[in-house]
Amino acid sequence: FYHMDLYGSKERFDIFPEELSGRGDRSLGDTRRESALSSEKVQRPQEVGHDLEKEVAELAKMYGLDEDREKELELLEGHLEKVESRWPPARTDKAGSQGSIYNLSKSSSSVKDPSQSTKQQGLPDEASQGDNQSKARADDEAESNIWSRGGLSSGGMSDEWNSQAVSEEEEEEEEEGEEEEEAADVFCSTCKIPIRAFDKLFGEHKDHEVAQLPSAVESEKEEIHKNMCKLEEQIAQMENVASHLEEIFITVEENFGRQEKNFEVHYNDAVQVLAQKYEEQLEALGEEKRQKLEALYEQLVNCGKHLDTCKELTDETQELFLENDKAEFMKVKSFNCQSPFQTLIFPPYNHRLEEFLKKEVDLELSTLPDFEERVIDVSEVEQLMNSINAIPAPCAPVINPQAPNAATGTSLRVCWGLFSDDTVECYQLCYKPASNERHGDEQAEHTLKVKETYCTITDLMPNTQYEFWVSALNVSGISPPSERAVYVTAPSPPTIKSRKIRSCENAALVCWESRDINPVDSYTVELSKLTDEENDDVITESIVGIPNCEVLIHLQPTQQYRVCVRAQNLGGSSERSEPVLIHTTGTRFYLNEDTAHPLLAILDDGFTISCDELENPECDLPVYDNSFTRCIAILGSLIPFPGKHYWEVEVEEDTEYRTGVAFENTPRHGHLGANNSSWCMRHIITPSRHKYEFLHSGMTPDIRITIPPRRIGILLDYENCRLSFFNADIAQHLHTFNSRFQHYVHPCFALETPGILRIHTGIATPPWTAL
Amino acid sequence: MALKQVSSNKCFEGFQKVFEHDSAELKCRMKFGIYLPPKAETGKCPVLYWLSGLTCTEQNFITKAGFQQAAAEHGLIVVAPDTSPRGCNIEGEDESWDFGTGAGFYVDATEDPWKTNYRMYSYIKDELPKLINANFPTDPERMSIFGHSMGGHGALILALKNPGKYKSVSAFAPICNPVQCQWGKKALGGYLGPDATKWEAYDATQLVKSYSGSRLDILIDQGKDDQFLSAGQLLPDNFIAACTERKIPVVFRLQQASCFCSPWLGYDHSYFFIASFINDHIKHHAKYLNA
Repeated sequence: FYHMDLYGSKERFDIFPEELSGRGDRSLGDTRRESALSSEKVQRPQEVGHDLEKEVAELAKMYGLDEDREKELELLEGHLEKVESRWPPARTDKAGSQGSIYNLSKSSSSVKDPSQSTKQQGLPDEASQGDNQSKARADDEAESNIWSRGGLSSGGMSDEWNSQAVSEEEEEEEEEGEEEEEAADVFCSTCKIPIRAFDKLFGEHKDHEVAQLPSAVESEKEEIHKNMCKLEEQIAQMENVASHLEEIFITVEENFGRQEKNFEVHYNDAVQVLAQKYEEQLEALGEEKRQKLEALYEQLVNCGKHLDTCKELTDETQELFLENDKAEFMKVKSFNCQSPFQTLIFPPYNHRLEEFLKKEVDLELSTLPDFEERVIDVSEVEQLMNSINAIPAPCAPVINPQAPNAATGTSLRVCWGLFSDDTVECYQLCYKPASNERHGDEQAEHTLKVKETYCTITDLMPNTQYEFWVSALNVSGISPPSERAVYVTAPSPPTIKSRKIRSCENAALVCWESRDINPVDSYTVELSKLTDEENDDVITESIVGIPNCEVLIHLQPTQQYRVCVRAQNLGGSSERSEPVLIHTTGTRFYLNEDTAHPLLAILDDGFTISCDELENPECDLPVYDNSFTRCIAILGSLIPFPGKHYWEVEVEEDTEYRTGVAFENTPRHGHLGANNSSWCMRHIITPSRHKYEFLHSGMTPDIRITIPPRRIGILLDYENCRLSFFNADIAQHLHTFNSRFQHYVHPCFALETPGILRIHTGIATPPWTAL
Repeated sequence: MALKQVSSNKCFEGFQKVFEHDSAELKCRMKFGIYLPPKAETGKCPVLYWLSGLTCTEQNFITKAGFQQAAAEHGLIVVAPDTSPRGCNIEGEDESWDFGTGAGFYVDATEDPWKTNYRMYSYIKDELPKLINANFPTDPERMSIFGHSMGGHGALILALKNPGKYKSVSAFAPICNPVQCQWGKKALGGYLGPDATKWEAYDATQLVKSYSGSRLDILIDQGKDDQFLSAGQLLPDNFIAACTERKIPVVFRLQQASCFCSPWLGYDHSYFFIASFINDHIKHHAKYLNA
């Protein structure tokens, strides 16, 4: 093949650069010479493809050669102290970048104009061979015929050059070897060669700076070591570049595939449109032609008729003309219409003639041979053509359903994806609060542009549903919107009703209220046991899926717990509520204000009840459904939990009171202890003494107590079916009701004279209450 | 002080036994009942002394009161001594049921012919506990006392005269103010002589007035339809009034039928009344003895 010839032809190689600098006039001659040199050259166009492959292979080989060269260099440098790298790092880098260009052009070469690809491949070589030359070549590019060759041969040339360089170095190596044989002992820094000390004194190095050979060797070795390091770095770099290039390969392939498909689709469209247009135009043209022909034919027929008439008349005239009988001639001629007979037999010749001559012969062409100007309308095609290079508008993205825990009370993370591999510049995300109401249109829509396929929207309302939809955008336009997805923000943290916490040694009843209008799915209670050593927040237990705003938690006695609540919905869980502390020492309850008699007041501490006066005009008093109406009483809310509960009531010696327990539904209009739903101790002051009654169903045992208790201890023991009263100050047992309580009971307190009762909760059950 | 076992019966996993011994204090042979709870087989138990009422021996309480179950449950040794020396051949000792035999009244007699043998106060206070502590697995530091009627009186005076000796005290229908009642006047006059001021040393109501010492928690049960209550032999109101004044904690329970429809069927002075509330008393003592 011709280019093999070229490659082998030393002569051509030598000439070539000169030719290039000699510019266009010579290149013509060159072309001629070429054609003379190689007969195959005639077939060149057919061989282009093959040609290119070879070129690529060759260039790749050269790239490989460069790598080899590096190794060679390392070897050389290892041996020779003196030789500086003739291939400085810059050069190696260049080789790398060349490589990348080769790869690229190689992959794209199959679709590209051969001469162009050659040019590309040629360029790197030019770069390495000097600017002048490359400029010269660039000028000559127009003559692509030569050019492909030029690039080719430049490839070969570069190779040649490389090998020349190698041989040069080898020569140097030899030279050096010779010098070493002469036992040099000092190093000339100026000339970078070891010399004999003698030379320093008398030789050409007389004025040069010299160093002792060993130290010079050391410093040079160091230098070399540095260079080696650099080279190693470069190797690593190269390896990186190579792997990166591989990736690019793949990407290029992919991009090509996409683009190819795109082209195919669009060109097909364009071709179809063109074909259609062509058909249409052709049809119209045919129709016009048919009309024209018809018109012409008609004219032709008319023409023929006219001709016939003309001939007929001519014949008649001829006949008349040849009439010998002069009289007859004239007669016919002049009295054409005198004889009715003649008029009948002969047509009135003169008349006809006159008429015929009178009639104008229409010689105008009924139609023109020219066809009307038809504009070939390619605007549509142009449009199609234009759209080929443009990327198509993307398809509608697919919005994902809400992922768990992707929401907070005020923010949502919305995600979506793209079905196809459309090119998308950005997405347009729209949302608005979802509402079931008809006039929900008032709800403002928000739109924002997002680059990613996700977005976190903030400043939302807690526990609220939002509708989201998304469109993809690129230069060609906007996609249709995605389906609408409903996301919901997490709820607000609930508020624990800290005053309404009830607890005992083994359990706590915690209730809270939601801060959201919309209902939430469930609540989670987190509790951590506080130890003395460290107050860390290790969650020791979580109770999930609580449907109501209340939960009974089982706990261990005499501990401290920190309890938080989170609200939960589809969107996730709220922040923690403000924590509350729960002590499992003794039983804690609160006073249920709803049950309080109107005259009974609860002081600020929540556990002191007072009554200032016993009588009041009833109309003044607001009476609630649940409050005591006769007895100035109030119920506590005790935790509904079996086991023992103990509390104390501090009383004044001169206060009359009732205290004990009652069912929640104990009659509000009666007195405590007067019915079978309450059990209580009553203190009455008689003129002679303090009287104590222990009332249930209106009955009391007759019990005399010598010391009026100031602090009454009350032990409710569900398990042992008993309710005991104690004088807590002296641990004296006063009375025990033995009753199997059918329901949970609540503490009850009533004042029968003005005074106060102080209730103490959270007291560990004293040991003397046992038995 | 050799003990002789008179009887032993298994009862609620423990043993109800009766022993007899020669009493140095009383100078006669004395019997006492003792209940040993199952816990006594493995460890030391507190002792609860029961003092019976007039005419009783050691048998009445151990056979009628039904205390053993509660005592077994709470791990209490219950000692029930006799109510007086017996067989001392003192003239007139068996003449009446409310004086002499069966009516020692828990005093140390100072009058002849009683002063040699009728030293029940010292017997209960010192000799018997020593004997019990020496022969049974007891915790000498933990003892309590209770009784019925005359025994209730005995329990109260022993507790009031010996502050801290007994962890707790209780009584069923005790003779609270003997100096004021017929029984008391007769017995105290007989044993102590006609000087009524000497009697006060054995009168619970009088003793309360001068009591000072460790806190006592006194539980008293009284049957409402007790014929001796209405006869003015027991006089609990006096005692309660004194305790109220002296701030001595007492819970006095006037036990009656808990049903309005049978008002005449209240508790009386019998052991049936005792048996009805014995558990409360055992618990009352156990609370302090096992504290």
